[in-house]
Amino acid sequence: MNEEQAWVFRAQKGDDEAFTLLVETYQKPVYNLCYRMLGDPDAAEDAAQETFLRAFQHLSRYDAQRSFATWLLSIAAHYCIDRLRRRKFSTFSIDEEDDDSPAFEIPDADAPNPERESVRKEEKEKLHAVLNSLEPTDRAAIVMRYWHDASEVEIAEALGLTVSAVKSRLHRARLALGKRWEESSMKQQPQRRPHESPAF
Amino acid sequence: MNHRPFEDWLAHDQPLTIEQKRELQIHLNDCVHCSALAEVNLELRSVKKAAPAPGFTARFQQRLAARRVIERRNRLVGVLILTLGGIGLLGWYASPLALSFIASPAGWIASIVNFLLSLVDMGRALGEIGSIFLRTLPGFIPPFGWMIILSTLSGFALLWSVSLWRFTRFVKGAQQ
Repeated sequence: MNEEQAWVFRAQKGDDEAFTLLVETYQKPVYNLCYRMLGDPDAAEDAAQETFLRAFQHLSRYDAQRSFATWLLSIAAHYCIDRLRRRKFSTFSIDEEDDDSPAFEIPDADAPNPERESVRKEEKEKLHAVLNSLEPTDRAAIVMRYWHDASEVEIAEALGLTVSAVKSRLHRARLALGKRWEESSMKQQPQRRPHESPAF
Repeated sequence: MNHRPFEDWLAHDQPLTIEQKRELQIHLNDCVHCSALAEVNLELRSVKKAAPAPGFTARFQQRLAARRVIERRNRLVGVLILTLGGIGLLGWYASPLALSFIASPAGWIASIVNFLLSLVDMGRALGEIGSIFLRTLPGFIPPFGWMIILSTLSGFALLWSVSLWRFTRFVKGAQQ
């Protein structure tokens, strides 16, 4: 039995301290999944907290033969998918990661390379926007694949899908992302023109 | 422009050979559609993991404590409602009986004793019926019939155990 399994076992016996250690260990991957799914730091914090609460409440149902991380991410993904479906017609902000800064900022003139920073920020916003355009389950699959290096089998297990369904969802989602990326690049080009040097 | 097989190479995780990479690079130089696919792939791989604000665990502990308080209060309210409701319902149904008992206690006691005696008689009669049944039944059912009955019962027991095991063991996430 490894350290993590020992914590899970102790937590299942009602040891709060052991569960706290699990929260410490998995807070970042769970939060990241929620953030990439919901696109808003406050909603992500709330979803991550709720994920851990649900995990705590249903710890007795956890099957020790499965990976704890996958089980936890499965709870988070299902919770976020539900939340996104509930607010299907509302929009959410595209914020800078790790902070509460507004979506569009004037680049810092003192930064080492303000132009590059600005472009980088724009790319991040664009990525958020194209990610948000995906269907919730496809988005969860993409987030687990890219940010958590989850295998197709793990994604299938977490999302309650077959491996072939995951493969086809990932394929479809990547094509959709590429298409949206191309579209948003085309939209951005005429917007940039006024800021460009007259020499170009 | 034909995007095959480049689109598939980019949309799958399969590793490419040097020759395939070269072909893909040539195609990407001319194809805006596949370049966008490659760019978004690259962007997805390069974005770092978002981290929660410091103190996440402390906030979780606070939330857990608050949730426990709410659950305890809800449980208490539930028990209180059930108890009061039960008492009220019992009072509602029992009040006519209680009034009649107070009016003639001797009659009530006699009818209760009669009822208890009739229960005892009924028990005895059922016992006798059962013993006669058990004495005569083995003669009617052949050993093969007993085997079928026992196998069917075992099958049902097994089915019941497996269903219980399936429903309690594999639960996905905590959404359930």
